[in-house]
Formats: sequence, structure tokens, C-alpha cells
Amino acid sequence: MFYLSLIEHTLRLPPHLLHLPVDEAIKSELETLFLDKVIAKLGLCISVYDIRSIKGGFIFPGDGASTYTVEFRLIVFRPFIGEIIVAKLKESDASGLRLSLGFFYDIYIPVHLLPTPSRFEAIPNTRNQGRWIWDFGDAEEAQSEEPRFVIDGSDPIKFRVDSVIYPSIPLEQPENSKPFAPMVITGTINYDGLGPVSWWEEAEMIQEDE
Amino acid sequence: MMSGEEEENAAELKIGEEFLKAKCLMNCEVALILEHKYEQLQQMSDDPMNQVSQVFEKSLQYVKRFSRYKNPDAVRQVREILSRYQLAEFELCVLGNLCPETVEEAIAMEPSIKTKGRAHDDDAIERMLNDLSLIKKFE
Repeated sequence: MFYLSLIEHTLRLPPHLLHLPVDEAIKSELETLFLDKVIAKLGLCISVYDIRSIKGGFIFPGDGASTYTVEFRLIVFRPFIGEIIVAKLKESDASGLRLSLGFFYDIYIPVHLLPTPSRFEAIPNTRNQGRWIWDFGDAEEAQSEEPRFVIDGSDPIKFRVDSVIYPSIPLEQPENSKPFAPMVITGTINYDGLGPVSWWEEAEMIQEDE
Repeated sequence: MMSGEEEENAAELKIGEEFLKAKCLMNCEVALILEHKYEQLQQMSDDPMNQVSQVFEKSLQYVKRFSRYKNPDAVRQVREILSRYQLAEFELCVLGNLCPETVEEAIAMEPSIKTKGRAHDDDAIERMLNDLSLIKKFE
């Protein structure tokens, strides 16, 4: 969900921005501080919407730059638990799915939140990659050549947010570990209407035939 | 209380007064805002792509792709219509984003609209969905 959040922040204008008009300099500094950053509980900052007020301009003793208190609005992305979001498949391996929104891609659907029963079909000669198949329907159908309910990334996937965490920045990161993710969404697709959108378009078509 | 500049922006974007008080934004509203901002940057510089971050660019792509309503008047109408139904803000945005076609779908997407004590029987929800679908038809 996108939000318009009203923020008050006190910032110091670095000297290299002093040649600009104050409001431009402040906008530039706000963008440097906030854009593309995740702030815990607030979310991922997408854009500065507007500046409501600028106060201050005091120079503290020993400082070469002025300090301002700014009231402004940010557009942020912050998912809530239970929210239904449409995403694309980014990765699929034995531990589950990884989804992406393009601007944010730390979304995981772990095995236990896939529709039950599901099975994993590994792709030979790849490191752990493969596709997940939902074994819905009778056993005969499940054994057929081309299973009906495959997750292969060919269409968007609807998921429901199960949890959102904001891990704290680690002091040290071992080499070769994945890049630090400041916001991680865990989702589920184990409900009616969730999963690849094509799964449910078929269901609608069947209903019309009846 | 709006400053002169804010009024101008609101008029240009044509999203409406309700939006300016809003805290949750529908994808279609975010699309209009980011698109507008991108156009402003284009006017100001030869190379707008240099000015926008990856996240901005990808967010704009995403909300454009997953907006049901593109026309600014339609977007404003969606919020106005949904605002009449005493929904919590996030409920309004979920419905505006996902555009359920049936009452069952709406309740599955946002179960809180049907909790006890709220004035939302199935008829009210159905009327709301019909109003929404009319906007889509005439967009």
C-alpha cells in the first residue's frame, strides 16, 4: 500500500548546496536522505511529495552550515498484514518463491505458504532452481503430461502479506552472504484467488460454461 | 488550509480535495503523481532519466501497470464514490486497487468490510461495486 506520510525532520544543509535557493537545497537534501531508503515502520521512500514548512536556518557554534526543521510529505510503500498485492516471479527454488514488484523485491513465499499440496520440479543442471506445481484435482490429472496449475512466471502472481519485518543492520556481514534487506515481506498464496492470475481466470471461465 | 502553490498542483493533477487529506494512496493516484513529477523534470532538464532514481522509475512502471483507472477524472471519482461508503482509508484503497467484481470477491480481499456492527450488508457492497464498474465503463 502506498501512503502519503507527513514527516518532520531536522537537517543540516551541507555547504555544497548553499548556492541554491533554500527550498531547492532542502528538497535536494531530503531526497538524498530519504529516497530509496527503508525507514522501519514507515516503509520504502519513493518520492518527496511536497514541503509544507521550513523553519530555522540557525547556525550552531563551530558549524559551517545551517540547520533547518522541515515539515514535508513523502510517498512511501508500506505493506500491511493481510494486504493483497500483485507481483512478478523473480526466483523459484526448493525453499519457495521470491517475488518482485520491480521497485522492491524482498518478497518470499516459503514452502509452507504455497497452496497444498504442491510439489517442486527441479530443473536439471541448475543450482536448486525449478518450478512449483499445485497438485489440485484428482490423481490422474496430476500425473498428466502438462499439469494445470504451474508457477512459471508467465503471468503476475497475487499474494497476501503474511508478515513484514525490518531487520536491524548487521554489524558484520560474512562474505558471499546475500545483500542486506532492510524490509522483508513474507507472503502466502494458499487461498482462493491467490497465485498466478491465470489460475483463476480459468475458474471464472468454467463457471460461465456451467 | 492550502497554500496557493498546493491549490495549483491539486488543480493540475485534478485529483481533488479528498486526496489531499488522504493518507493511503491507490495505485492509480500514485501513477498520476509520479507521472506528473516526471513530466515536470522533463520540462526542467534535457535528461530527466538522470534525475530520477531507480526506485522512482520502477515504482512508476509498477503503478502504471497495475492501475485500473488512468484518466484523472475517473481516479477522482473512484475516491469520491468509495468515500461515501464509510470505509476505512486502507479499505478504500484496497478496493480501488483490486476492483473486485462480486460481493464475495470484495469480502475475500478485504474481510474487514463485513465485520459486525458496520453498515455494510451485501446490498450496500453490491451497490458500491456497481458504482465502481460504471466509472470503468465510461473511462
